[in-house]
Amino acid sequence: MNSPEPCSPPSVLPYTDTKPQGAADFFFAINATFRFVISKFGTEGWVEYLRDMAREYYRPVWHAWKVGGLDAVARYLVQSFEAEPDAVFAVRRDKKSVVLDVVECPAIKHLRKDGRIIVPEFCQHCYFQYSEMARLAGFHMRLEGGNGACRQTFSSEALPPQDMKLIADAK
Amino acid sequence: MIGTYDFCGHYEWTFAWLEKKGGHPLLLEYMEEAISRDSQSHARKLIESEGFKGMIKYWGHTLAEESPEQAYTMSSREDVVRIDMHDCPSKGFLIRNGLEQHRDYCDHCIQWIKPVMDDAGFAIAHEHNHCGQCWWEFRKRGDSSAASQTGELGGEADARLLPNWKQKTHHLFSP
Repeated sequence: MNSPEPCSPPSVLPYTDTKPQGAADFFFAINATFRFVISKFGTEGWVEYLRDMAREYYRPVWHAWKVGGLDAVARYLVQSFEAEPDAVFAVRRDKKSVVLDVVECPAIKHLRKDGRIIVPEFCQHCYFQYSEMARLAGFHMRLEGGNGACRQTFSSEALPPQDMKLIADAK
Repeated sequence: MIGTYDFCGHYEWTFAWLEKKGGHPLLLEYMEEAISRDSQSHARKLIESEGFKGMIKYWGHTLAEESPEQAYTMSSREDVVRIDMHDCPSKGFLIRNGLEQHRDYCDHCIQWIKPVMDDAGFAIAHEHNHCGQCWWEFRKRGDSSAASQTGELGGEADARLLPNWKQKTHHLFSP
């Protein structure tokens, strides 16, 4: 009797590549883009950029969250972080929330390794991007930590307002 | 997190966002300031300090990382470095995923590479067909040689010999 072939769960990523992970040097461009947008439009303009991207480019993701609930959020977080080079993370599904612990942020790690000047607001981008996607899907999202490691909570229940002081500057 | 896996997708979306905010001049400023001078400072350092060897090192690393299928070739002589791209990993990602927010994604390469080559003292000959195929030749500025004839430098791997080369609109850049 043949053993069944091991199989991976189907991808929940809306845009897929032929290689399993992205090229780490792209973090240089993401960091540089943030710096440019902030220099031209200020922090408020950068937040608008992130929220616009969340609404438009990531529409298939938050739409899947809206349909699939917190299970879909958890699957997306696992697969999207598995696709990032050198990410160390854990995703925990609780009854009314999903908690993402980023133990080693792949972006901060690679930017530091190359000696790049990291935009201080860098870690806020996860909050502004994911909180907008969560809002559109009917959830709440908060972030604590940053500068290499953080905790991100996605909840079906209301959470206290985000305290921006809890998001560390990146360096 | 805005990550690297689907980088080309949100990068292309960003082109359209910037152009909507500040027109084409803002997009060109972004390409030079943010990409050519900031993001790609590692390429700039290598090419400015090591010339042709630096180009081979930079694209040797970055193309191997972005295109593990090796859908490209690099060839060189002492006076020129040539790249033939058969299936651009970046444009290919957009095509496969049906993403087209900006009218001319392929233009971003010449917009960041040209300032690097200008500052390092090199001239560019380049052609792309907007379908994931292109070729590049880099020579020292002042070298009056024309771009190579088809197959002369790239051999059988010359992108101009690909059966799908002659499609869509071609953009050609001469020194």
